[in-house]
Amino acid sequence: MDIPAASNPPLDLSGVPRLEDIAFHPVSDKYRQMRLAMWGAVQFFAAAAILTPFIIFKVTGEEELGAFAAWWWPLGIQCLIAGVWFAEEWLGFPRRGYAVRERDITYRTGWMFRTTTTVPFGMIQHSELSQGPVSRMLGLNHVKLFTAGGSGNLRIAGLAEEEAQTLRAVIEARTRR
Amino acid sequence: MLVLAVKFTWKVIQSAWPALVGLSLADAQWYHLLGIPVILGLIGAFAVVYYLRFHFHVASDALIVERGLFQRERLQIPFERIQAVQLFQGPVQQLVGLTGLRVDTAGSSGSELELVAIRKQDAEGLQLLLRSQMASPESATADPLSGEAPTAAEMAPMVELSFADLMKVGLTQNHIKNAFIGFAVVMSLFQGFEDRLSLWLAGLPPLVLTVLGMATVLLIVPGLIMMAVVGVVTSLIGAALNFWKLKSAIGAEGVQLEMGLLRRNVFEVPFDKVHLTEWKSNWLRRKFGYETLRIRQAQAAGAGGLRVFIPAMEPRHRAAMEAAVYPDIAQGVLAEARPAGRLRWLLFAGAILPALAVLISPSISHAILGLCWGAFVFWTTGRRFAAYRMAVHSNAIVLESGWFWRSRTVLKMGQLQGVEWRRNALLERRGIGHLVFHTAAGARSFGYMHKEQGLRILDFAINQLHSASPSAPQPAA
Repeated sequence: MDIPAASNPPLDLSGVPRLEDIAFHPVSDKYRQMRLAMWGAVQFFAAAAILTPFIIFKVTGEEELGAFAAWWWPLGIQCLIAGVWFAEEWLGFPRRGYAVRERDITYRTGWMFRTTTTVPFGMIQHSELSQGPVSRMLGLNHVKLFTAGGSGNLRIAGLAEEEAQTLRAVIEARTRR
Repeated sequence: MLVLAVKFTWKVIQSAWPALVGLSLADAQWYHLLGIPVILGLIGAFAVVYYLRFHFHVASDALIVERGLFQRERLQIPFERIQAVQLFQGPVQQLVGLTGLRVDTAGSSGSELELVAIRKQDAEGLQLLLRSQMASPESATADPLSGEAPTAAEMAPMVELSFADLMKVGLTQNHIKNAFIGFAVVMSLFQGFEDRLSLWLAGLPPLVLTVLGMATVLLIVPGLIMMAVVGVVTSLIGAALNFWKLKSAIGAEGVQLEMGLLRRNVFEVPFDKVHLTEWKSNWLRRKFGYETLRIRQAQAAGAGGLRVFIPAMEPRHRAAMEAAVYPDIAQGVLAEARPAGRLRWLLFAGAILPALAVLISPSISHAILGLCWGAFVFWTTGRRFAAYRMAVHSNAIVLESGWFWRSRTVLKMGQLQGVEWRRNALLERRGIGHLVFHTAAGARSFGYMHKEQGLRILDFAINQLHSASPSAPQPAA
């Protein structure tokens, strides 16, 4: 590799705006309820799926006590997964948030798996509001931002209806070139 | 038109081959053969009508195509959306002296327009026109190169492969992968053969079968040798088919390359549509002084997009290419980053795992094998770790990794679609994270950076991205 030895001044980063300094807006607290309800529903059905054969054996009264002990293994694993997932939801929720700067938007999520993604307004191809039946009931809306190539797509989930509309309007205004 | 007919025939054969195989296996009567001219006639008629209903013309700022038989469609492709222009000549086109033209846009469906057969001089004229139009006004501000007068027609030759070079390229390909591809091709050619073989086996007495079964063990060594031979031969054939008489040239605004034996392709890629360049090489290829260049353009996540790659790029070619696409690299490195020392231990731990198999059945010979592997891993880990490097220039970011299979990825900060800082809770506690660059051609990341350094580079990248865009977006309110 022959890179010509050119001037190599030390990089002055004091003028570069820092991402850490900005304050993040939290998402709606109702979204926490929605996610916890989701967690509860999934755990309930998983537990039901694991326990059903056991209950059937118990009711029909078949002597399968050798297999009885083994039923606790899947249930234990499920509890472990449920615990980690709950921790992720409970501790991670306060970390969910977005921040809008003059020229870009940043979204932060997660406790166990943390990401902080910044997308410049200039690169947003289009934006979308999406709402399922449950989030409609809770008055929540999700904002999706699409960039070219698709790997930088951003989904800011769980905004109150009004906030989502405002955010979208802000994005639309700044995306327009 | 002939080309169209052949193309449609090929498509019908492709889509209906199970039916054809079924027919050939069923007890065929001679009058079944009468179906063939009927089908061919239908295809021919369809090709004629399709040809008559296909129009395209060049407007002032777009390419306009009208096509379709039952469902008419009108395509309008603005010049500035065109990512690349490709001329291709399959065997049929070479025979009749025509050329196909493919225009790629950034749309999700990959290639949006394919003109199957046009006259060669028309194709070249169209290509020249598109080349001059593609350099959009948008690029005038983004690309410092276009400050000079556009001299699109002047191209300096770059890589040109002779037959010996071609063989070198073939010899340095990934033979193991190619061996599997080669076997797959052979297998698919002899599909009927397998049935006959099993029929023949079923007719043999059981004693012969057991002897045959034992004989297959003896076939392992010749099998391995055959595998190697098939791999090398497939590599050579593949290289010859793909890179036959490769010619490439570099101009002020783009690269042009031409290659292929049966299907000859001519690519035209303007520099401002290049979103990623990747340089890959293995140890063997580096010994010949070659690297493979892959040019990636904007593409939707799932779509294949146009894959342009040039094998046998020499260091001087790389210098020329990078000077043209990333002029700021010559201005020197602004910041350099290497991964945190923790990655060294993760690499070591990941590679040493197979040695733990010794614990399953401990014995002296296994312990010696394990120790050898450990020493090898210890030796390579240091090299692999030292190969990770990120260099930040004023607009370009260079990511380097790999020791045996070396890779160098270059991207422009001004074209980034997003930047991400990613880490899990364990890494966060140690102040380590991964920096992910989202480009229009996919995401590339640099892992296990120190937080302080990673976030500074992230901030710098965002800053450069904003300063590269022509004007600040003005909020309406």
